[in-house]
Amino acid sequence: MSNDLEQSFVQQLKTNQNIIHKICRLYTNGEDAHKDLFQEITIQLWKAFPKFRGDSKFSTWAYRVALNTAITLYRKSSKTVKTVDYEKQQFFISQEDYNYEEEERLKLMYQAVYQLNDIEKALIFMYLEDKDYAEISETLGISEVNARVKMNRIKGKLKKILNP
Amino acid sequence: MKELDLLKKDWKKNNTFEQVSEVDIYKMLHSKSSSIVKWIFIISILEILLWTSISVFFNTDDYLKKIKHEELNLFFEILTYFNYAVILVFIYLFYKNYVSISTTVSTKQLMKDILKTRKTVQCYVWYNLGMVAFSMMMGFFMAFTYNPEVVTLIDKMNNNTKIMVLTIGIFILLIATFMGLFWLFYRLVYGILLRRLYANYKELKKIDL
Repeated sequence: MSNDLEQSFVQQLKTNQNIIHKICRLYTNGEDAHKDLFQEITIQLWKAFPKFRGDSKFSTWAYRVALNTAITLYRKSSKTVKTVDYEKQQFFISQEDYNYEEEERLKLMYQAVYQLNDIEKALIFMYLEDKDYAEISETLGISEVNARVKMNRIKGKLKKILNP
Repeated sequence: MKELDLLKKDWKKNNTFEQVSEVDIYKMLHSKSSSIVKWIFIISILEILLWTSISVFFNTDDYLKKIKHEELNLFFEILTYFNYAVILVFIYLFYKNYVSISTTVSTKQLMKDILKTRKTVQCYVWYNLGMVAFSMMMGFFMAFTYNPEVVTLIDKMNNNTKIMVLTIGIFILLIATFMGLFWLFYRLVYGILLRRLYANYKELKKIDL
């Protein structure tokens, strides 16, 4: 019985692992930090798995638990992680259709996103993942109106960072 | 916001991550226990080093020479080697537990391994406490029977039962205090690790419906 549960968890996590990878990409810099956060999220998901009843999709549930883990962890270490060395984030630069100007703008944009706080990053993440406000509000446990207001503020903040 | 759209486009394009395998995931789930068991293994080695270095400073040979019973030397040597052999067996068992826990892939087996590790550590602590008690009693016994100074003291005491009872009482108290100190030491060093391991076990049990 337990092995079945564990097996099904491992299977589903394996298929949905890109969700966690993407969160790690947004919250960490460097390979080691990425792996650490990945493992921490995996453990938290596993701990929460018995409560996962399957009334929502595994991925929806995983978004919620994984983001909350990242937010909590990031909050704890927010004093130590302040600056991000962009050069280390080379995997963001896509190889195809290399466009210098666009590349430069993208680079600045990623840097700006890194300066956001833990919750703001979570919202941006949901936005980048094409989630609507209903889903954002459910995942992060805030009201839809609040999510909208926050998103607008983040956009303003990003603009300010890009055009000081 | 134009930049945000640009970011989104890039975000969707960039989706190649080094994929984690099933075995990796199993390992992640069990890593907490394996790190605790690793510490049990490391501490047991540190402990044997500590006792060995202490025993270098306390030489029983001189004492035996003083009481003119060097033939007891052999007995002590055998006892020491026996003790080291047992402790080495324990260290080997700790190592085996560590290896099996860090490579286990099923929760059921992991739970079994955790219980086994706990039992091993408990046996180890009881063995050490027993050895402390045994060697202390041996020490007192030898002092009473072979040390000329103590023997004359006993002869004097034989005439006075009150002092005799008092001395024996003090010795018992001394042994008890030493045992208590050792017990506290083990409780502190291994107790914390065992409790954490047990917490993991309970967590696993919760998942194991």
